[in-house]
Amino acid sequence: MGNLSSAAAGFLRSAGFAIVLFVLLLAVNLLLNPARYLPGNWGTLIGLAAPLIGASLASAPVILAGRGGIDISVGPAMGFVNAVVIQALFLNLGIASPALLIGAALLTGLAVGAINGLLATIVRIQPIVATLGTYLVLAGITLTIVPAPVGPAPAWLKAMSASWSVLPLAAILVIWLGIRRLPYYDLLMAVGSDDRAAYSAGVPVTKVRFVAYLITGLFSGIAGLMLTALIGSADPNIGANYTLIAIASVALGGVSLAGGRGGLAGAALGAIDIFLLQSVLTSFNVSTYVLQIAYGTILVAAVVLTALQEKLFNGVRAR
Amino acid sequence: MRSSGFLGGTSGRALAAFLIVIALHVVGTMLIPGYSQPFAIRALLVLASLLAIACIGQTLVVILGGIDLSIPFVIGFANVVAAQLYGEQWNFGLVCAVVGLGALLIGAFNGYVSRRLDIHPLIVTLGTGMVTQGAVLLWTAGFPSGSAPQAVSDFVSIGGSAGPLPVPWIVPAVVVLGFLVAILLARTPYGRRLYALGSNPGAAPLALIDPVAMWTITFALSAFCSAITGVLLLGFTGSAYGDVGQPYLFQTIAAVVVGGAAMVGGQGSYLGTIAGALVLTEINTLLIGLGFQPSAVQAALGVIIVLLVSLYGRERHVSKTI
Amino acid sequence: MSETPRMIIDDLALKPGSSPFSQKLQRGEIVGLAGLDGHGQQRFLETLAGLEKPPRGTVSIARNMEYVLLKGFRHGVANGIAYLPRDRRATGIFPSMSILDNFAISTVWRDTSGGIIRTARRGARFEQYRQRLAIKAPDPKAPITTLSGGNQQKVLLARALALSPEILLLNDPTRGVDVATRHVLYDVFRGVAREGMTLVILSSEIEEILLLCQRVLVFREHELAAELAGDEMSTEGVISAMFGKAA
Repeated sequence: MGNLSSAAAGFLRSAGFAIVLFVLLLAVNLLLNPARYLPGNWGTLIGLAAPLIGASLASAPVILAGRGGIDISVGPAMGFVNAVVIQALFLNLGIASPALLIGAALLTGLAVGAINGLLATIVRIQPIVATLGTYLVLAGITLTIVPAPVGPAPAWLKAMSASWSVLPLAAILVIWLGIRRLPYYDLLMAVGSDDRAAYSAGVPVTKVRFVAYLITGLFSGIAGLMLTALIGSADPNIGANYTLIAIASVALGGVSLAGGRGGLAGAALGAIDIFLLQSVLTSFNVSTYVLQIAYGTILVAAVVLTALQEKLFNGVRAR
Repeated sequence: MRSSGFLGGTSGRALAAFLIVIALHVVGTMLIPGYSQPFAIRALLVLASLLAIACIGQTLVVILGGIDLSIPFVIGFANVVAAQLYGEQWNFGLVCAVVGLGALLIGAFNGYVSRRLDIHPLIVTLGTGMVTQGAVLLWTAGFPSGSAPQAVSDFVSIGGSAGPLPVPWIVPAVVVLGFLVAILLARTPYGRRLYALGSNPGAAPLALIDPVAMWTITFALSAFCSAITGVLLLGFTGSAYGDVGQPYLFQTIAAVVVGGAAMVGGQGSYLGTIAGALVLTEINTLLIGLGFQPSAVQAALGVIIVLLVSLYGRERHVSKTI
Repeated sequence: MSETPRMIIDDLALKPGSSPFSQKLQRGEIVGLAGLDGHGQQRFLETLAGLEKPPRGTVSIARNMEYVLLKGFRHGVANGIAYLPRDRRATGIFPSMSILDNFAISTVWRDTSGGIIRTARRGARFEQYRQRLAIKAPDPKAPITTLSGGNQQKVLLARALALSPEILLLNDPTRGVDVATRHVLYDVFRGVAREGMTLVILSSEIEEILLLCQRVLVFREHELAAELAGDEMSTEGVISAMFGKAA
């Protein structure tokens, strides 16, 4: 219990600002557009937010693993999964079975994660460069498979962004809760906060980091399915956009980009904040330019306030 | 020890990158007719020069141990604002002053906030970049107009010449700039402090280095170089376009890393970055010349970056960092 | 010996609530700091360097016939303080840089004219310290990491001495340094003290303090437990003060 409450306190501290922002934005959203938040619309709403939340959750594990761990190929990996599932398997080969398509998406994600992990941890290329390489490769292949948007997607898959939209998110939640119960989770956080100390204590640092890339890949696969469900087609140009905004969500949710601090709950909350912010701004019906300005301003303001709050907290604690 | 090996040293890495440029060029000349024609080489040099100028800032920022994602947005800002103001009959000198000052402020904000508050520069520069781009789009309602003075167009024109040289002025300008940046890095207090701060941020304050001032100055310089690139691109393409800088987002990082810098800071050289810019431009030209689609070129570029960096840009194993 | 102290520590408390003390440091004096790890001697030295703000009390430095209050690290350096940090790796060397750079980084302006670092001037300056400290560095342009720990420490000491300080604060300067190098360092310390420099040496080895210092301040629970000088300075005396027994 003590462990649980201290974990909750840690979450409050690191993601405190994201929580405040969440409450505020939710209130504004409810005021502006109450109909959209009726229980009957929840499925669609979650479906709309899901790809960003998925991308954010996928970005988190490698960041937690520390020493510059980052995966900027998450967005293109989602786009690649989208292309493989719709164009290669569904349209070209006529495969519509949920088991096969889901399996293919997860395997694709895992394969991408394995390649990134290999490059970043075993070949030891700086993660941002290694995943920039896979970013370009995946975006290029996706454009080759799907030169222009095509559809449709199988009906069951589209339902995953409507009435069943909670399923893929639940899948990530279950997997992550499972991982948290394993000794692996402690190793991951140890490596993230101080890899030298962890190595000296006998933690297989390289393996732990490699597995973090696998988890990120797996989650990217699921996020790719969410994206596919939402757009109901194959589109080569959407996936890559998710990368940077997902990393911003992770940071907003109080996950330290230096590793070892924060968790997936924060990452999800950061993504939900950004989603809610987008819907507030769009409902004001302002031009996309104003939207972008507000968006960037709030992103910077949010990380600045989080940092200030943390400084203040640490200052108080030191006394 | 790795760093004492020839390929491990910074100058070794830069040399390796130059050798790759030559190898790529030889391959291109053998495979593609006209690859070494004067016009083709000029085009290559101009494109690489534009990239090299955009990369000055990224090189400094990476040596410092940071990263600047606002480069493409500042390029777009300078490109559009310069065109718009010049189109409104402003004096071009004044236009450049306004654009340069704006860029310096954006960059200084990036550096100051990132270091002062310990926020990862990736997030800060991304956020300010988005705000900058939004503001520019709002101002021009998404349809920028105007153009650059003829002199700027001539400066970067592929068909241009610099006195007796058969290349436009931008190419010798980059050579001179390369020397200046090399001197800045090797022989000025600023340059030495830059490497020191990137090499060991914990020791820097005790060696009388002010991290916040260094970050503020360096990010401001980075934005200033981006602004120069934006104005030159205006002359190159002839008309303003807010997204003109987008290809430079990852290309600057790739060029810096291919040129031998380490993202953890403390290592790298501008000479290496110039080589990196040439490598990227050669690969691009070569693949397009071989008839690849843009998408395939992109994919191949990804593979090649990873291959090159795995040859000479590998990090040390944790056990070697204890 | 001049009777105006070079540094005055007045009513200084290291932690809120711990009992304050005052001290005067003289020209040419070598003062040792001892105590069990984490008992305040570290914080005291960092307070003298301007790195820590004390909850109570002041540190002032003699400057042109008057005293100025120490305001911070840079202010201290500007007023004649130099500080040699404890952890070479974390807060000392710049591993990707050359021996020359590591030596000159705190005093770059001395080599600079017209905004450009003159390598000849820098080389000559280093050569002076290389001889004085017997630094074994065949190629000063080689990375600092090619040197042994002892020679790295000598380069860091040269960096501090290059500031031409009046007060030199040394945080465990012989930690992880071989015996031969230690004796070179001891000779240097004595030499600069003879020239009038004030040295404060924190050491985890009591023998070292007894060998070098005229005075030792022993800390216990963030308070000054004992000040020993002359005949009182013995291993037993220091140890009993460290453990809080009546000496």
